[in-house]
Amino acid sequence: MNINKSNPLLLHPLNKWMKKKKWSWFPHQIETFNYVRTGSDVVVFAPTGAGKTLTGFINPIDDLIKLKKFKGLHTLYISPLKSLANDIVRNLEKPIKELDLNISFQVRTGDTTPYKKQKQKQKPPNILITTPESLALLNSYENAKEFFHNLKYIIIDEIHTFLDNKRADLLSLNIERLQTFSPNLQRIGLSATLKNKQDAKKWLCRKKPKIVSYENSVLPKIKILESKERIPWSGHMATYSINEIYKEIMKSKLTIIFVNTRAQAEYMFKNLWLINKKKLKIAVHHGSLEKNLRLKVENNLSKGLVDCVVATSSLELGLDYGDVEKIIQVGAPKGINRLLQRVGRSNHNLNTPSKAILVPTNRFEFIEAKAAIEEIKKNNLDKIDLKEGSFDVVAQHIFATACAGQFNINDLYKEIIKAYPYKKLKLNDFKQLINLIQDGGYVLKNYDQFKRIFQLRENKNIYKLVNKRETRKYRMNVGTIIENPMLKIKLGTKTLGNIEEVFIQNLSQGDSFIFAGQVLEFQSMKNNLVQVKRSKSLISKIPSYSGGRMPLSTNLANSVRALLAKSNMWDLYPVQITEWLKRQKYISKIPKKDEYLVEQFPRKKIFYTVIYTFAGWHANQTLGFLLLRGFKEFNYKPLGFVANDYAIVLWSLKEVKEIKTILNLGLLDKHLDNYLEETSIVKRLFRDNAIISCLIERRLPGMEKTGKQVLFSSDLIYTVLKKNEPDHILLKSSYEDAKKNMIDYDRLREILKKIDKKIILKKLTSISPLAVPIILEINRENLSKKETDEYILEDLENEILKEANVLSIN
Amino acid sequence: MYYQLINFGNEEFHAYPNKSLYWKRLNTLIVSDLHIGKSISYAKNKQFLPPYDTKEILNKIFVSLDNIKPSNLIVVGDLLHDVFSTLSIKDQDYKNLSQYMKNTDFIWIKGNHDKNIQIEGFKNFTNYKIEKFLFTHIPIETSLFQICGHYHPKVKISHRGKTIFKTCFVHNEKIFILPSFGILTGGLDIHSKQISDVLGKKNLSIYPVGHDKVYKL
Repeated sequence: MNINKSNPLLLHPLNKWMKKKKWSWFPHQIETFNYVRTGSDVVVFAPTGAGKTLTGFINPIDDLIKLKKFKGLHTLYISPLKSLANDIVRNLEKPIKELDLNISFQVRTGDTTPYKKQKQKQKPPNILITTPESLALLNSYENAKEFFHNLKYIIIDEIHTFLDNKRADLLSLNIERLQTFSPNLQRIGLSATLKNKQDAKKWLCRKKPKIVSYENSVLPKIKILESKERIPWSGHMATYSINEIYKEIMKSKLTIIFVNTRAQAEYMFKNLWLINKKKLKIAVHHGSLEKNLRLKVENNLSKGLVDCVVATSSLELGLDYGDVEKIIQVGAPKGINRLLQRVGRSNHNLNTPSKAILVPTNRFEFIEAKAAIEEIKKNNLDKIDLKEGSFDVVAQHIFATACAGQFNINDLYKEIIKAYPYKKLKLNDFKQLINLIQDGGYVLKNYDQFKRIFQLRENKNIYKLVNKRETRKYRMNVGTIIENPMLKIKLGTKTLGNIEEVFIQNLSQGDSFIFAGQVLEFQSMKNNLVQVKRSKSLISKIPSYSGGRMPLSTNLANSVRALLAKSNMWDLYPVQITEWLKRQKYISKIPKKDEYLVEQFPRKKIFYTVIYTFAGWHANQTLGFLLLRGFKEFNYKPLGFVANDYAIVLWSLKEVKEIKTILNLGLLDKHLDNYLEETSIVKRLFRDNAIISCLIERRLPGMEKTGKQVLFSSDLIYTVLKKNEPDHILLKSSYEDAKKNMIDYDRLREILKKIDKKIILKKLTSISPLAVPIILEINRENLSKKETDEYILEDLENEILKEANVLSIN
Repeated sequence: MYYQLINFGNEEFHAYPNKSLYWKRLNTLIVSDLHIGKSISYAKNKQFLPPYDTKEILNKIFVSLDNIKPSNLIVVGDLLHDVFSTLSIKDQDYKNLSQYMKNTDFIWIKGNHDKNIQIEGFKNFTNYKIEKFLFTHIPIETSLFQICGHYHPKVKISHRGKTIFKTCFVHNEKIFILPSFGILTGGLDIHSKQISDVLGKKNLSIYPVGHDKVYKL
């Protein structure tokens, strides 16, 4: 088909500009234009560099030109990041200015000045670029309806980041609100390539739903770092390959090194500086750094003023850094989508492949890296699981609705269940959430004279906010992102960023630690400020950040299992890996793709049970705890367990004889509640729930609560509530959150359902090669701080290796 | 109930895990900072904490009174959170209180939260002297041994790489500070400036309160 002849975009107002730039329209842009023109809601899937942003704006711009001097808000563009929103404005500015089109556009985020926000409300631009939180705020104003009643399009950028979290829930509710205000509203979603495209469509589209997809035929070039050093048995810091990583940086004009945690980022950065003989310009970027520091790094990156940036997921999304030549991923990829997203940060030209190097930090990670490369070749992406919406977000939404004016609860309920995450929201739960906002929703009615919203006497279905002051509280609490309690770090008068309070609590005056790439000495803590000075100390701690440990994706886990079983591939691996696997096969067994290997062996009068589930960290952590309980019941006297992404190891004083009897679905049903209780997982999530649902306040002007105080009082509330009202909606909500997010309940259930028939039990006389990495983790975790000296670790490692009779492999 | 023996001012006291202190020789039970009605006071500002604190605190007191049958109950301040707090005390609770008052003297040292509030049957004092001991909400200049409240002391314990905060009884040679008997009450680190100004930093005896045991550090 000759696209040009039938291309309606040749008549589009932007066509002139495209021609001037010598660009031509992509097929997916034409397709999207046609669908939207004929009234469809559309999700567009395309890789970076395929003109995604422009695709979203084609119909709005066409429409605005046709309508001539349209007054008021016409199109809303939702971006996941503030920084991205600013970038969109810059991109939109170019064609609109160069063609002198009569279209106004502005950005509105948390960084927009109150004056500007006020002006926007009085005289809205045609196109407003904003974030989900700012949209929620706009919807909470009394004049929201007039503001949005002519809205024609809503564009959701990077919609794949919005599908499986509470932010998505918040956004979905607000989109439905816009649809109520403006029934003709059309929805356009822009997404990176996804496996389950239908799910994204279901989430967003209502009118004649359509999917437009553009697959890039140029595959990225990804390889594993070829190292002369041996890959360590365990650990996550890649110290072994630091010199080789440095060489790779020197070879490319601009490199981003992605790591998995903020601690790794600091560590990698420090180690690179230690060997930086060529005085390369190396920077570090992660979410805890002060905004200005981050912006500076981003700026230098886009101008090509640095040679290398060490980053966490903080740089995964965001601006196009056209000059990035190479990506180095240090540590396990964890998931295909995630790796692709990271790899895609290099080289935004569609026709040349992105280049990436993977650096496994231990032996299992080598297999994982290899598997990830295979899957990317096959274009086998991870599925993003849509989740049922969380209750606390609905509560916040009810509060927002009340701020905008009196409302009918039946209408609100009908609107909410149109949103995909809340299709199954029960009326009864919804009413409990109304009560939660009204007065905490307790059975004991003590707060009748203090309600926040109240029913009108003449119509019990209509609720109203008691006073205007409450709207301010809502606005202070909007959003679903709850940070861990953080403290600001000050070097002199300069703020360096935020650090988790838990980490600081463990420091004494004079201790040094690494932050923002500098060695700092802890001096004092006052009024939530951590005062530090520069230090020359060589011994320093790395701050830990509890959040964000991502489990290995199911998809990649399956691929790791399959690859492990392919013994004909082994000879292609570095010799230490090959020997490791061969030895394992000889001493024990390599599990087949669908088998679950269980190894048992004694060591120093203690009995070890290692279970290779490949279920990801969350699920393994849960399973470890459940098994501990199960072992106790059988009187095996268990002492503890350690879990990682691949396996669990438990140790006990007595030999575990009935593993097959214990390891099954019954285990989950029997002990799950205990697990949630004892590990205080629900308690921690309750804090988020209490803040998101506005039961307790995040902060109020004049009474700035520290994160600590919020955590503290939410713990007390949890305890009192649990005792007196175990069926309270917020407890139910926290419990559901735990099941969905923290313990990988569904994944574990799937595994346990079929595990008993597929267990391969190996009774060994000593530790197996495959078990060495996880056994080493036991010792690492159980050592007291002073002992974590590398020498001792080395010593321990050798001892264990000798025992496993695998020392000869090195 | 298990208790921890504490020697203070050459007298023996029993510290209970429910955060009360018992002076056996004089058959006197001492509690502090109950903050009854904190939840209802917060509800005024639309912070809807679970409204069960008053009931729970009173029940805790009643259980203690039943077990110990003291001649005196001394509250060293902040029995109530504020003037609204009485709203959360039900008629039945008042009836129970007056029953207990038949056998026990209720002595209420006024704290900063409950200065101008009255409950029938309580004997109100700004401070109260028994032998060489002075019961007061906040310590004052005196040569007497003082037993007080107000600070809700907690202690930070770091062990094996983990840090926990625990409510505690704490005293130096002359001043004893009780933990808060309340349910929704927070706490203050004993090494914070506010408490250090009163107790100093050295020679502290610290008794963290565990689930069903009071420990000694």
